[in-house]
Amino acid sequence: MIVAEQKPLAEMKTLINGAENVLVVGCGTCVTVCFAGGTREADIVSTSLRMATKLDGSPQQVTHSTVQRQCEWEYLDIIEEQVKAADIVLSLGCGIGVQAIAEHFPDAWVVPGLNTSFLGLPTEHGVWEERCAACGECLLAVTGGICPVARCSKSLLNGPCGGSENGHCEIDPDVACAWQLIVDRMSSKGKLDALLEIQPPKNWQNSRDGGPRKIVRQDLRLVEFED
Amino acid sequence: MEGDCHYLEGNLNARRRVEYVQNLLEEIGLDGRRIRMFNISSAMGAQFAGYASELAATIREVGPNPLRDYQAYLAEQQEAVASGMV
Repeated sequence: MIVAEQKPLAEMKTLINGAENVLVVGCGTCVTVCFAGGTREADIVSTSLRMATKLDGSPQQVTHSTVQRQCEWEYLDIIEEQVKAADIVLSLGCGIGVQAIAEHFPDAWVVPGLNTSFLGLPTEHGVWEERCAACGECLLAVTGGICPVARCSKSLLNGPCGGSENGHCEIDPDVACAWQLIVDRMSSKGKLDALLEIQPPKNWQNSRDGGPRKIVRQDLRLVEFED
Repeated sequence: MEGDCHYLEGNLNARRRVEYVQNLLEEIGLDGRRIRMFNISSAMGAQFAGYASELAATIREVGPNPLRDYQAYLAEQQEAVASGMV
């Protein structure tokens, strides 16, 4: 899932400063399950902003609504009237949600209420950890299902480095050495020898280095949208 | 007592949630001292009274909820008492 966390309330107040009517928009997918921007959080944020701005002596009308999926335009139609009535939309979606609202409602001014952090999973209640860097060329088959791009601090494709100590990374003893995990897993599967094969330099053009990415599936496209 | 809860680790979880609400109240500007958690058993009447007095003293120091029109609230309460509704 996409993992995000809320910006401090003080920063949200700055972002909505001067607006008479503010619409807080939550999202029912990733940010709901990481407790950053679902229905409950949208309610708490809008209530908090109403109280905080009233205490500051410049009360703002803050309402909230949550869509099932902020990152697809068709799910945004349901809030069209609320967006039109708002001076500012405070999105509690990930960065994709913020941009989807801005693109779908060109007249609206949209600001982010979250900091989108990473692609990861919950490892215990209240703890999320990064698992994928969306590098565009998945290597998990050669590393036993453990991603060195996302989980090794140096994103080494041939590890571990000299900073691996007792299974931990030199940057922080709380960070597991991804290559130790990879070696342990490959050993447990009897496939340690596979790691003797040197991985060539990765084609980072499939990642961010190649600029903004796009996938086109001709089989799914509709004739009316063809170039 | 902390960690010794009828719901096992329930009061340890509750402590973290109370801290969350305290921080939220601080961020809003309502003073986080308005909420506090004490761990006492049902056999600790004297301690209960002591904590209640302590919290009441804190609340007096913090003052009434600034979001509420306190004078209007008092008038409402007096009116309710006068009409026999309370």
